[in-house]
Amino acid sequence: MSEATIAHEFQYSSASHQEESAIAGMWLFLATEVLFFGALFLAWIYARHFNQAGFDTGARETALAIGTANTVILITGSFAYSAGLAFAENGHNRLLILCCTIAWLLGLAFMILKFGIEWRDDFNRHMFPGPDFAITGPPGGGARLFWVFYFFGTFIHGLHLAVGLGLVAWIVWRASRGDFSPKYHTPVTAVGLYWSFVDVVWLILYPLIYLIGRAP
Amino acid sequence: MGPRLTRLALTWVLLLVLLAIELGISRWITNPELRPIILIPAVLMVACVGWFYMEAGRGPEIVRLFVAASLLWLAILLGLGSLDPLTRVMYYVSSQ
Repeated sequence: MSEATIAHEFQYSSASHQEESAIAGMWLFLATEVLFFGALFLAWIYARHFNQAGFDTGARETALAIGTANTVILITGSFAYSAGLAFAENGHNRLLILCCTIAWLLGLAFMILKFGIEWRDDFNRHMFPGPDFAITGPPGGGARLFWVFYFFGTFIHGLHLAVGLGLVAWIVWRASRGDFSPKYHTPVTAVGLYWSFVDVVWLILYPLIYLIGRAP
Repeated sequence: MGPRLTRLALTWVLLLVLLAIELGISRWITNPELRPIILIPAVLMVACVGWFYMEAGRGPEIVRLFVAASLLWLAILLGLGSLDPLTRVMYYVSSQ
């Protein structure tokens, strides 16, 4: 199929122009997301610098095993989706669907571990920085700050992951209808960029939450 | 197809190795002020995902411009923002 026969919207000179615009648009959006999460990381720097002892006291109450498992899950999910994209570029539609489904299931596993198990345990242990917060005394203030960062950061990341689950499910649905081919798979590429970015954010959140405050 | 999948799989292995290194470093550094060094393998993992999975080096040139711009914005945000806590002198005032 030649370039001239691939459909594209009227405002683009060609199908490849449309594809490049879509990919560039997704990268521009991700650049704004870098700033969005960057502000969160700056808040972490401030909070830990001025309340180090309390901040680290709070950090030692996190569930390292679950956090590490979730990191492995997201890394593997990123790999699965990227493999699916490679299959899409070579016309292997069923393998694309399989890989995207695996990525989706891994994302779902992350959400269950994070919000179904870890958050529930955190609330049960009174780690939510409310009136009955478990850590009292001199480190209490810094510990509260840590857990504010923890709940806010993981909630916002989870929100992004939930959007990612919707997008990946959309890709699976469109792939099952045969919408993609080696010549046209722009949505697969664009969603893959978003999916991997969610992984990137977690790769930074993970040490900030689970590792740095946990000195042996 | 084969080499591409191999590259993706090797990247996955590399990411797991970096994660193991990150965990190892976190067990090794005891000085709280040096703990942020743990972020070094994390940043390397981000670079691996960005280069091999997101293929930041491929595609139109404007993509690389957006990537560079986002890193510059982040450096300014974190760099300038960190100047205050790093340079502020704390004067403790009596509560009386």
